Amino acid sequence: MRHSRCFATSVALIFSLGFLFGAIAGPAGAKDHSLPLEIQFKDHRFTPRTLKVPAGEPLALKVVNASDQTIEFESFKLNREVAMTPGQTVTVRLPALYPGSYDFYDDFHQDVPEGTLIAR
Amino acid sequence: MTRTVVAAAFAAIYVLAIPRIATAQVDPWEFEVYPYATESRGVAELETDNAVVANGHRGGYSGTAAGSFASQGMWYNQYEVTYGLTDRIEGAAYLNVAKPNGASFQYAGSKYRLRGRLFDPGALPVDLGWYAELEWHRIPQFDDNPLELELRPIIEKDVGRFSFIVNAQFEKPIFEGPNRNRGFEFGYANAMYYRLWRYLSPGLEFYGATGDIDDNDPLPRQQHYIFPVIWGELPRGIEYNAGPGFGLTGGSDHVIFKFNLELERFVGAIFGPSSDSGWFF
Repeated sequence: MRHSRCFATSVALIFSLGFLFGAIAGPAGAKDHSLPLEIQFKDHRFTPRTLKVPAGEPLALKVVNASDQTIEFESFKLNREVAMTPGQTVTVRLPALYPGSYDFYDDFHQDVPEGTLIAR
Repeated sequence: MTRTVVAAAFAAIYVLAIPRIATAQVDPWEFEVYPYATESRGVAELETDNAVVANGHRGGYSGTAAGSFASQGMWYNQYEVTYGLTDRIEGAAYLNVAKPNGASFQYAGSKYRLRGRLFDPGALPVDLGWYAELEWHRIPQFDDNPLELELRPIIEKDVGRFSFIVNAQFEKPIFEGPNRNRGFEFGYANAMYYRLWRYLSPGLEFYGATGDIDDNDPLPRQQHYIFPVIWGELPRGIEYNAGPGFGLTGGSDHVIFKFNLELERFVGAIFGPSSDSGWFF
């Protein structure tokens, strides 16, 4: 009984600290940006291949797989990775970015040209 | 003659008693820190985790050896199949084998696990995940508990190109074995990674175990390791993570080398896409 209490307390403490840290740090949820931040995958390539985004504020990036292949939208620098079946649309939330360029690619088809997000 | 009998009796008591003095244990088959992200829906991953104890302990039930085989020269080898059930939950099955020094490869145990992430990445300031695993061990060669439950909350925070990951581990023998009524042991698998290049990046990993959460082992008997690692992606989508590990306490093995490889492919989804507004499934 004592062990169970200790265990439950520990788990609760860890999760609580996580949420508390989150609450103190403030909401990081990406807001809807006025720019049409959308990337489409079609005909074995991303369109646009270069997308300019504002630095310093959270973003929501809409990714559309308009091809008939399953792809994996991935960005090494942004630490994002999601497999997408044909016709699927996902929203990729991004934190406030430092100015710079950030890669994205289809990890399932390495011959697909890489794209770039440019934050400034 | 009497001295021989007494010495033999003490030796027997020592050998039998050690398993009961269960020291804090890390899982040497899996020197891996789980990130917040799970496998995508419909994606399967094959993985092999390897660890070789280059400088360990010469007796059983010490260092990374939780059973009667000594850790010195042991090669821990794990095969893992993971599948993305939904966009937020994955399932995995493991086969553990080991090659003790001077012996051949042999079955050591098996594990089954579910792991999930809460919400979507970036939805909360700190990304939170969960992990639940059942572990069967071959006793007494590789463990003193035949069946254990392991639970982990997972916390990840990305800061620029750095990722900080915390896996707090709570492990408990269940259902069978002499320790089934014991409480949870505490351990950890934490990491700090820097995303330098896609094909080669550095990181630091930390593994350890402190014993029962309400009655920690004395520090010299605890295990704590630091692994400077390199990680990245090789051609054809093969990902790797490798490096030496150094024990920081007397209860730890002194030097371990780890080398993990993984390959993922889309094999087909069972369930439909998860809702963007969902948080668990």
